[in-house]
Amino acid sequence: MPVQKQVRMVADLNKCLGCHTCTMACKTMWTDRNKGQMHMYWNNVETRPGKGYPKDWETQGGWFNTKDKNSILLASINEGYGTPWEYNYDQVLKTNGGDASESVSESVLTPSPRPSGNAYASNWDEDVGEGTFPNSYYFYLPRICNHCSDPPCVDACPRQAVYKRKEDGIVLVDQKRCRGYRYCIKGCPYKKIYYNPEEKISQKCIFCYPRIEQHKGNLCATQCVGRIHHVGFADDTASGAYKLVNIWKVALRLHPEFKTEPNVFYIPPLSPPVYSPQLTEDQRIPVEVLANLFGDTSDQTHDQRVERIKEIFRIIRTEREKVAKGERSELIDILIPHSEADRIKV
Amino acid sequence: MAVGASTENLAARHERARALLERGAQAAKHTLALDLLERVHEPIGEYPYRGWETLYREQWKYDSFGRTTHSINCTGSCAWKVYVRNNIAFKEEQYADYPDINPTLPTYNPRGCQKGANYKEYVYGPQRVKYPLIRTGERGEGKWRKASWGEALSYIADKIVSAISNYGPDTVTFYSANPAKFLVSYAAGARLANLIGGVVCSFYDWVSDLPPGEPMTWGVQTDSCEAADWFNSKYIIIWGSNVLETRIPDAHFVTEARMHGTKIIAISPEYNPVAIHADIFIPVKPGTDGALALGMAYIIVNEKLYDENYLKSFTDMPMLVRTDNGKFLRESEVVSDGKAGNFYFWDKSSGKAVLAPGTIDCPDKTLDTGAIDQALFGTFIIDTLSGKVEVTTVFSLLKKKLKDYDPASVSDITGVDAALITRIAGEFANTKPARIIAGAGVNHYYHNDLINRSMILLAALTGNVGIPGGGFDHYVGQEKYWCEEGFLKLAYPLGNIKQRFQPTTLWAYVHSEIEKIEGKKEREGKGDPENHDLWPRPISEYIRESVDRGWMPLYPEGTLDSGKTPRILLVWGANFLNQAKGAEYILANLWSKLDLIVDTDFRMNTTGLYADVILPSSSMFEKWDLSTTDLHSYISPFTPIISPQLESKTDWQIFLELARALAGTKFSFTDTLPDGSTINRDFSTLVNDFTEQGTLSEDKSAGQFILDNSMETKGMTMDMLNEQPRRIVATDKEWTSDMKDKEAYYAFQRMYELKQPLNTLTGRQQFYIDHDWFLEEFHEELPVYKPPVDGTKYRLRFLTPHGRWSIHSLWRDAKYQLRLQRGYPIVYLNPDDAAARELSDNDPVEIFNDNGAIIANLCISTRMPEGLTLMYQGWERYTFKKGGFQSPTTIRIKPTQLAGGYGQLKFKVNYWGPTGNQKDTRVEIRKYMEVE
Repeated sequence: MPVQKQVRMVADLNKCLGCHTCTMACKTMWTDRNKGQMHMYWNNVETRPGKGYPKDWETQGGWFNTKDKNSILLASINEGYGTPWEYNYDQVLKTNGGDASESVSESVLTPSPRPSGNAYASNWDEDVGEGTFPNSYYFYLPRICNHCSDPPCVDACPRQAVYKRKEDGIVLVDQKRCRGYRYCIKGCPYKKIYYNPEEKISQKCIFCYPRIEQHKGNLCATQCVGRIHHVGFADDTASGAYKLVNIWKVALRLHPEFKTEPNVFYIPPLSPPVYSPQLTEDQRIPVEVLANLFGDTSDQTHDQRVERIKEIFRIIRTEREKVAKGERSELIDILIPHSEADRIKV
Repeated sequence: MAVGASTENLAARHERARALLERGAQAAKHTLALDLLERVHEPIGEYPYRGWETLYREQWKYDSFGRTTHSINCTGSCAWKVYVRNNIAFKEEQYADYPDINPTLPTYNPRGCQKGANYKEYVYGPQRVKYPLIRTGERGEGKWRKASWGEALSYIADKIVSAISNYGPDTVTFYSANPAKFLVSYAAGARLANLIGGVVCSFYDWVSDLPPGEPMTWGVQTDSCEAADWFNSKYIIIWGSNVLETRIPDAHFVTEARMHGTKIIAISPEYNPVAIHADIFIPVKPGTDGALALGMAYIIVNEKLYDENYLKSFTDMPMLVRTDNGKFLRESEVVSDGKAGNFYFWDKSSGKAVLAPGTIDCPDKTLDTGAIDQALFGTFIIDTLSGKVEVTTVFSLLKKKLKDYDPASVSDITGVDAALITRIAGEFANTKPARIIAGAGVNHYYHNDLINRSMILLAALTGNVGIPGGGFDHYVGQEKYWCEEGFLKLAYPLGNIKQRFQPTTLWAYVHSEIEKIEGKKEREGKGDPENHDLWPRPISEYIRESVDRGWMPLYPEGTLDSGKTPRILLVWGANFLNQAKGAEYILANLWSKLDLIVDTDFRMNTTGLYADVILPSSSMFEKWDLSTTDLHSYISPFTPIISPQLESKTDWQIFLELARALAGTKFSFTDTLPDGSTINRDFSTLVNDFTEQGTLSEDKSAGQFILDNSMETKGMTMDMLNEQPRRIVATDKEWTSDMKDKEAYYAFQRMYELKQPLNTLTGRQQFYIDHDWFLEEFHEELPVYKPPVDGTKYRLRFLTPHGRWSIHSLWRDAKYQLRLQRGYPIVYLNPDDAAARELSDNDPVEIFNDNGAIIANLCISTRMPEGLTLMYQGWERYTFKKGGFQSPTTIRIKPTQLAGGYGQLKFKVNYWGPTGNQKDTRVEIRKYMEVE
């Protein structure tokens, strides 16, 4: 039975600051108090191009592209997700008073275990990017669970502990029924379900359903200080999210070829032109790089994606120019929401 | 002493609170036991076992919430809502209730970044100072003993009395960073200093956030628009500024202005985060920004793209200058009873020189020049008391000066293509309103004043200063604060003029004996134009002249003659040692001169680790206070959402208690102030003096005192602010514009719209400074380009910008922040520079020069150009195996910034004084071999 309503979110990457306020908003609400959750970022922000979080998640596969579930490997927490380092505060800071008789004194605050060798963390390659200076490029990609319309995690769970809510389409792992088999993690090509090794169950983004139930926005969206998110139900034609996806068609899915029908969409990022005396309109992020990430549907070809992204850039440019000339633009009005009520309608 | 609950380990307490929440969650799970293996037919849409969902609803439950903000030097001043459950502040969310300015501007909501979302880590974390500590081992060794408040405060009081009686009150030095971030807390220490005769140090010039070009050109410390006015611009050059990282709550006004059709130009040496959202990224060689600005000015002047009427009315461009000595023509030279502060235009309609209104000595306080038709160009002959002299205009001199900055020459200096320079100059001049947003990337250089002046010149040439959406707006550190009148009354009850204020750069330079080191380099460097051949005379002579002529104070008095030194340093709400330029010299030379160092903070930091006494202050969830910023026009309160944890006290209460301890000594002395007046200081009345006869005993009443005594907050109460932040209603004389309803604040409206003169010698935006030092010794009477200094011995320029993960040192040691980075300090390098040194990503490396060395880990990124290395600033000294992030820096004073006795060039704390610039630093990097 299909869901009655589906919550959707559009992230405008032209406004993303890479500040991780969304990450911290989520972390400090849902995953900072129970053991085994420290490596989890239900919401993360990754620098693109980059390896992402968990490391190289795009190449790990999911239920969509394999018949042999066991061929999909699970990333290790330390190397894949990044060790949630602990620090020797007490030894270094001695806020408990220190002991004058202590002969050995730690003086350097050190992450434990120390990131060496093949070290990685959720945001390890922040601002590293690609290209050659001055034509370097990078952009920020915030990610939560896509609350897919065709969620492979649901099919993957042998205990049927993963489900999609009727009233809002939020995908949840039943924390009581789950036994931590992690087939859902294998099944999710976005790797947006996390294993809690202490509780021995899997956990994931809940789209802040306790808040959605009170008609409050999810925290990653409401606390976003870049104001990049538009949240609304898929059938709410008055919402900014609907208009951006369905009317203006400027928002794309991340890896639609994964065939899961994600419900998080992205407005692809513009970038400054390639540096030259003439400054052509050639944006420095190669459109092919973007087309490898974003598209509308699973059956689109790469070339079609390239064309779509170019079309979106044309639309944005045209509308910006209109506004610069003093004309009104519905699209720009949506992209510059005045208040929270304009961008979040739940 | 009652231990137990009050000295309980905070971390453990927080852990228990978490466990409590967790137990609730577990209980929810177990009471909902169902047959788990019952087949689910429709997991999509019809899942039957949803009872467990109460788990997360429980997690989102809270008992109460309260309002606060953060006393950090980030200019955020963001309103936060803190949720409390079981007396634990467990979740922070932006309050997002700033009232609209008007419906066409984006709102300020939500305001606050990922650091503000995780301040609770410090409230309950192991970094928190729990009780007073007194050092038992060597400084920095980390050996302490717990002390009672009574013992710690008597200890400090006795030392203060002893320093005053043996060496004088000006050996007792107070340092904190910026009233704006915590008006009451700052006033607490300053008020005690004012009452006992201590020295209050400046911070804005010391941290090099002061743009000296603003007092020089405009006679203001700085005045910038609030962030909402960015949205009113049509063209924005974001120059050496990284608002995406450093003004996170305000950055949306840039990205939204861009969507609104505003063209965004990012100029910086590396492809920084703000550049990714620009329409054009212009890579400029580090430190050559001044040349680029003058190259643009060349185009604007030579292609006549300037706003002629604007220049005539609002700048010194039409003012007459003698060609024989380069000085302004003064009325005192023309008529016998003429004044030295009156200056002339050449009036084309009458064909003679006429006095300009609005100058410093002119009673006519207007810039309205009526029927005068000022000549912008030309050479004229004037009859003076001493015969005929030839004069010309400032604009003629400027045009001549700009000859050196043709696009080809500027391209050679800056690395920016000549065609691009021409293009952006044209676009900037032809798109109105246009604005330059300038940041630390162009302000932390030795020649920051020249860079400032060159950029302000662009904004003035194009008539953009004083209009909405236009101007030169500088955002580095926290500049001005609303409610200054009320704050000053609270902080300096005996009056500003009775307060010993110290420009900190000079104080730190002299007492750290950097002069000896820099003086040696200076002698060795003679003949190398890039290496310390900066001064026609030794720096010591300029310092001596400045101090002797009363241009700059230097405490204790007699330092230069008798070698007197400071004895006591009290630091509160600041991390002086960690952030100090020339950190190695300060630690080696200044620290050893001090008999007592007291650090008051809610957390342990580098200054605390090297202090003698540590006093635990309340966190930002535990006190009444006020915070302001010039990035927005609201006033935000701190309120006590939870009670002060463990033995901490608010700053106001700490300094009140210290006053009480000092009163207990019954010490008294007669203090002769620098102005020659004397004052009898009787410590036995200190408590009454501090509390204004008991009316200011509470933090909240101190906050209310500020509100009551400031025109910005007329009629407001602390409780009203707790209900909702209020927009300020008026501006005092420190601001250059009126506050208008439904309009974003922008600067210099009083000059442009009301024709009110500026506080400069000429009453106008003054680009020509005819002070002797400028004219004769440094040839900086007009903005010129001078290259960044510091030799060629080390190949890599070392930049230490502000970053997104910390506000200075705060959050540099916060676990939740560190986990979203690489966990320890890193330094960025271009791939080719790394390859040339056989370095790989994440290698431990040593960054070194003659000043010092640091060990950090390498991050290789194409965002960096060759020849540049970058480490985000603020890492605590104890996060490094060796050194601190300031170890490779020194303090290098620019003599012109010691100047005084000239119109707007007059010492006033945090307004005019030498800057502690540090971007002219060069280093080398090599692999560090770890010895385990």
